[in-house]
Parts: sequence; C-alpha cells; structure tokens
Amino acid sequence: MVEVRLYASMRAAAGEKRFFTDASSVKELLQQAEGRYGKEFAARLKVATILVNGKNIAHLKWRRTRLQDGDVVSIFPPLAGG
Amino acid sequence: MIGGYMGKVLEVDLNSKQVKKYALPHHMLELYVGNKGLGARLLYDLLPPATDPLSEKNVFIVTTAPLTGSGAPSSNRFNITTKSPLTGTIVNSNCGGDFGIHLKKAGYDALIITGKADRPVYLNIDGENVSIEDAAELWGLDTQKTQEKLPPKTGKIVIGPAGENLVKYASVISEERVAGRGGVGAVMGSKNLKAVVARGDQKVRVAHEEKFKEICKKWRELARQHPATGEELPRYGTAVFVNKCNATFTLPTRNYRYGTFSEADAVSGETLAEKYLVKNIGCRGCPIACGRLVEFKGKKIKGPEYETVGLLGPNIMNADLMAIIEFNYLADLLGLDTISLGNTLGFVMEAGEKGLIKTNLAFGKIDGISQAIEDIAYRRGFGDEMAEGVRYLSQKYGGEEFAIHVKGLEIASYEPRGAVGQGLGYAIASRGGCHIGGGYAIYLEANGPITVDPLTPLGKPGLVVLNQTTMEAVSSLGCCIFTVYMFLPRQLLELNARSPFASKLIRGTFLYGGNLIGRALSLPAWTLPVKPPFIMLPQVWAHVYCTGQRFTLGRLMELGKRVVNMDRIFNLREGLTARDDTLPARLTEELQRSEEPNSRVPLDKMLPKYYHFRGWSRDGVPKAKTLRTLRIDPQQSHPAAAVSSESATTGS
Repeated sequence: MVEVRLYASMRAAAGEKRFFTDASSVKELLQQAEGRYGKEFAARLKVATILVNGKNIAHLKWRRTRLQDGDVVSIFPPLAGG
Repeated sequence: MIGGYMGKVLEVDLNSKQVKKYALPHHMLELYVGNKGLGARLLYDLLPPATDPLSEKNVFIVTTAPLTGSGAPSSNRFNITTKSPLTGTIVNSNCGGDFGIHLKKAGYDALIITGKADRPVYLNIDGENVSIEDAAELWGLDTQKTQEKLPPKTGKIVIGPAGENLVKYASVISEERVAGRGGVGAVMGSKNLKAVVARGDQKVRVAHEEKFKEICKKWRELARQHPATGEELPRYGTAVFVNKCNATFTLPTRNYRYGTFSEADAVSGETLAEKYLVKNIGCRGCPIACGRLVEFKGKKIKGPEYETVGLLGPNIMNADLMAIIEFNYLADLLGLDTISLGNTLGFVMEAGEKGLIKTNLAFGKIDGISQAIEDIAYRRGFGDEMAEGVRYLSQKYGGEEFAIHVKGLEIASYEPRGAVGQGLGYAIASRGGCHIGGGYAIYLEANGPITVDPLTPLGKPGLVVLNQTTMEAVSSLGCCIFTVYMFLPRQLLELNARSPFASKLIRGTFLYGGNLIGRALSLPAWTLPVKPPFIMLPQVWAHVYCTGQRFTLGRLMELGKRVVNMDRIFNLREGLTARDDTLPARLTEELQRSEEPNSRVPLDKMLPKYYHFRGWSRDGVPKAKTLRTLRIDPQQSHPAAAVSSESATTGS
C-alpha cells in the first residue's frame, strides 16, 4: 500500500490527515484523491506540491511517477513561513 | 525632502547626556535607503574599528525606512544594527513591533545610542523633548512587566533579565515582537539601557498620496489572493513549515544529526492551529497576520514561530508542543533568542551524551529545560557558560564538529544537508548562521512550491546571489521579508503545477540560469531601467510613490548588492576573513543519510563562484572596482553635515 499524507489546507479540504491507496502511479493516486475529496480539494491540487518519499515529482517523472508498496506521498499547498 | 523620511536622526550619548539632531546627507539616503542598508552604513561610519561590543564605545542604532509608518502593508519594520557580542560581526536584527512607527511619529528616521549610563536608565523620546529617565524600578523586570510600566500609547523597545546580564544572545522586545538575533539585547544591557520609549504626533509625508494609496490597496489584495500569504500563512502561521521541512529532510533533529523527526506533526503549524490557536495576531498594518495567539495556563500569549518550534522541538527531540509554547513564552519574557537557545540546548545535550559536559539535560527530556532557560538568563551555575553560546562551549569543552554555528551565530532551523544552497547561504551571511541574510535559497530548493534539485551545487551560487540581493534590498525598503513570497505569483505556481514543460523551464531558469543571473547581477543599475512587474515586487512601486524618487529594478538590485558589500567591508575591517565563511564539520563531512551520497554540503564547490559573482577576490575581499561601481566609499566619516547639540534632561 502507498501512504498519502496531506498537509495544511489540503488536510483541511480533505478532512483527514492521510489515506492509503494501491494506486500504481501519481496520476492514478491524484484521480482517486479528487474523487474521494471533491471539488475544493481538486482546485487546491492545481497549485500543490507533490513529493514521493521526500522527492518532488518535478524531479522524478511528474504525474507518471510509478508508485510501489511502502512509498509515502506527501501533498502540500504552496507554503510560506520561516 | 524625499517623501517617507522625517528628515533627521537622533543621536544620544549616555555618557555625556548630549543629544544631537541632524539631517543625513541626501546621497546617503539615496544609496542606503533605510533599515538594514542605512544601519550598515551608519555603523561603519560611527563605530571605531576593533571596538569591544559590550564596551561603552559600541554604537546601538535603530533605523526605519521610508515605508515604515506610511500605511504600506507589511512594511512597519525597524532594524537594530550594532556590533554583535556573540559574533564580533555586524548584526542587523529586524523587528515588526510598533517602535519604528512611533520613532517616526516623534520625528526621527533613526536613533543612535552611544556611551554607557552610570546607572540603569531608559530613554524617553517625546517629539523634540528627549530625556534620560531613571530605570531602577524597571531593572530586573521581565519584558512584559517592563512594557506595562512604561507610558502607554508609545512605541517601546525593552530588554529582559537576559539583556541586563549580558547573555550573548539576549533579544530586544517591542510589543510581542522580537529583534532576536546576535545579542542586540546584551548591547542595550551593557549600556545600562533598559528601554527606549518614543512618541509624537508627526505624520509620514508621502510624495504621491493618491497613487500610493491605490498601489497599497492593490498590494494588500495581492497578498490576500496569493495562496501562500493569503491562506496558508494566516491559517497555520510560520510553523506550517515543520511538516514540509520534515518531508524534505531539512528539519533539524537531534542537534542537526538528522533532517527528519518521526513526531514532527505533533509540533506542526497544523497541530498548533487545531489545538491551541485562539486567534491570529500580526504586526501593525500587515494583511498576512502570521502571528499566533494561543492559550497557555489560562492566559492568552504569543505562540511560537517556525524557528522556535524547530529548535526547541525536533532539535532537542521534544514532541510536546505545549512545552515549546511554554519555553518560547519564558524566553520572550526573559529576553532570549530562541534560535540560539535551542541550538545551545541541543549542543549541551549531545556533549553530555558524549561525556564532554556533565549535565542533566538530555534529548527527549523536557524536565529541567525551563530551569536551564532561567539559569541562562540569570547566569546561574552552568547557565553562566551556556549564556556564551555554542561556539564558546565547543571551544572550551570540545565537540566543535557538532557545534552548529557560523561565525559564532547559531544556525537557523533549516538543515542544509537537505538543501545545499542554504548551506552556502549560512556560510556567507554577514551576521553568521542566518537563513535570511544568507538568501534563503531553501525556498527554491526544498520548502517552496517550485524547487530545483536540492542536493546539487550546480547553479546555487547564482541562486544565492539573486535571492540574497533581492532580500537585502526589500529589507532595506522597510518591508517584511514575507512580502518576497509574492515573487512567485499564483499564475506562475499554476503554470508550474499544470505543465511539466513549463515547470522544467521555470526550474531550469533558476538552476541552469542561476549562474547567468549571478553574472547579470554584476551589471550596473542602468542596464535594468524598468520597474519590476507589480505582481512580483509591489514593494518597489510603493517605494516609488512614497519617496517620489525614480527607482528601477536595476536600482533595487544595486541596493541589495550595496548592503551585502557594506556588511562585508565592515566584517573585514573587524578582522574576519574568508576562513570564517565556513560550516561545522557535521554539515560538510558527515552524510545526513547514508543511502544518499550527496547529503552533505559541498561548500568548496560553491564558495569560489559566489565570491566571483559578488565581484570579490578569491579571498572574499570586495574588489575596488566592485565598491566603485556600487558607489561605496570605504572611508569612515561621520554622516552628519551639520549637527545641533543640546543636553538631554534627566529624570529623577
């Protein structure tokens, strides 16, 4: 199973901190998440950062990045702080 | 007179009780503008070289900027500049309290304090009337009680017991905001100066009022509409970075041994908002309001910022958020910098484990920490040595390889082995291990919405030069550094998330174009004769309408470069060299993760290029041509053309 961790307003929009999935790619995982959490979550995904095991998918194979059992996917909105 | 300025500076000598008021030369304001930039130039001109920072000869400078008190959003900052007792370097400590607004209302752009009072005093600035008042009743009080006892409806800066006892990382407090870094509170304490109070009824004159109001309104809307400054930051505070840093291996854990903490979520901004947040608070006039008001033992108090959470949480293996709230509250009352504090505790815990120091403090154990904080502030027992900071402790007891500081300043709460450009930033920041002074490259490497490869040194020197230059300039305009987050506008974020091709192009520009940008920044200001896009840098537009001066992207970049070079020549004059641009061995030699061969900072691959882009020699010395291009006069001279002098009245 792949663990999906949600943070900040992504967590608030989903109403939960995490879910587990057997999705085999990031694309499939995001489709599942959109279906599961609805429009507000989907809208936020438009500017979200997605990490697979701490690596930004932009440095992997984008939404075609393959997922394996035990992977951790983290989804963040654009953050500021410091 | 240029819009935004009050037209004079107040200089008070606590020895002779002489008060001087004078105008700064027009060219100085044009070149150094305000806050950090102006403070750097004034300190360079006024401080005798090789001055002991805790001697009466040190100069304590508070500067404001044209936008301070003007009504511009997120721009009521003031800056404290002095020679740091912790590092021996220049220190610029920026604060969002309302003191700067009131100093300008009193009619002054800057306040310069020299000498030492023969007993505890506070300085009372009531417009033209300046008096030195007895502070015997205030001495020993914490920062909150001190502010309560001082006249209401005034701007205040105060120190707590830590400043009085010359703790090397004592802070200065204004309202509930903190000028934390580098021991500025100890410099006030060394002058027997408990507080400064300012009030007045003058208004900041803006050059083009209608256009200024219009642009500020648009700027506020822009800040509110941006997903980072309009939603996440107000909703979760700065501690929203805890989980992101944890996910990207940049959360300092166990005295920077690791970059992740298994219980990070328990101390995150999300948990803080869910369990303890009463309401948002912010600096005056800020639409972001990132501060937290939290409930603690029946009181409503200020909650901790990201840096504090990181260093008093994961860095000492503490997953108890309420304990962090308590430590933060205590540190603010006593007037201690929580970044240096958390690092000092982490170092002592590791040194204790290794048998170098005998201590009851241990990772994961919160018992005894409150006591240790008090011992530091009052210099009791071993607290007297902890009050000297990590560098001192490591030189005395050993453990320099895991003493997490640069130039004596303990490093901020970002583990640079997960973002190596941030490591370069720490090494070259003028005040020591500072994330902001070092350009905050980590935002484009790991914790921001658009990131380049965090572990490659490629392109990072250029990226650091770009970020550092922009941030130093924006800070000198009087704006909060958080206004720079709009540099990545929503449209760019959407494009980056929607299109892999666009994302590659944007990231490629930052990474592969980094060095090109670094080179481009060495060009003179006239090569960029345009105003930057409003949606990326609204600060520049506000500055133009406030001052009535022409100000372009080229001038902005030149200002940032000037500030960096001004700080540099100050530090070189004080005896620092390129050898001080370094990092502790833990960060350059130890791998953060055994499975990741690039998880350490390759500083030697980045530093020479950084010097080159800055127009410095291989020894890190600004070349004469660089200073000439930036119109920096390396001669030291008093800034006042004509000085009127009078005696301060003294209170009972």
